[in-house]
Amino acid sequence: MRKTITLFLGLVFILSLSGMALAAPRLTIEESTFNFGFVPQHSKVSHSFVLRSTGDDTLKIVKVVPG
Amino acid sequence: MLAVGDSTTLEIIFSTKTYRNRVTKRPKVVTNEGPPDKNVQIIAHIVQRPDSTYPVVMNPYKLDLSQFTTKVRDKISFKISNVSDIELHPTLVALSEDIFELELPDKIPAGGEAEAVLKLKKDALELSFEKSFTLQFDDEKTSRFTIPVKRTVRVAGNPPGTTAGKGTRGGK
Repeated sequence: MRKTITLFLGLVFILSLSGMALAAPRLTIEESTFNFGFVPQHSKVSHSFVLRSTGDDTLKIVKVVPG
Repeated sequence: MLAVGDSTTLEIIFSTKTYRNRVTKRPKVVTNEGPPDKNVQIIAHIVQRPDSTYPVVMNPYKLDLSQFTTKVRDKISFKISNVSDIELHPTLVALSEDIFELELPDKIPAGGEAEAVLKLKKDALELSFEKSFTLQFDDEKTSRFTIPVKRTVRVAGNPPGTTAGKGTRGGK
């Protein structure tokens, strides 16, 4: 009996660990490339990209580095 | 912080400065997802002579909706000249829908010109900004053009869009 309980608790522990390992944030960028086409020199243009959290944990956007 | 399933927008502002020809930029988005970080990519073809582009020429090629008096300035028109030998049909590719509305002609005859009107939405009357919108034409290369739009609001007294001084104020 004791052996069965130990085995059951062990199984629950392993399952909870595997669940924790699977929970991960994931960033999905819809249409990650945008082509402005012709743009005049000495001007400013802008485009908005859609960022979506598609993982199974909260996504934190730390920073955006100009490239 | 973005909860699972939520989304947000990332606005990339690109200053063309003295760049020339094709330019590609790849800003990196760093998150707690860990490496490799993901990128967005913008591509632009910078023109030094925007008054001699092909297959269309925009006039003006930059729009300024600035307002320095109480007279509301909420729209601006511009001409699209078709300098190709085929009829062109403009389509809208991208525009800040919370700020603008755009009226485009259905077609522009070969060698002809047509007028388009950019209107500012009521909720955006008090905003100063530098934005842009992108058009595409159905020529062989499906050419794209991005038109910068600038608005500076500097009004002494009442903010634009208000009618203080007219009618009554206060309760019923």
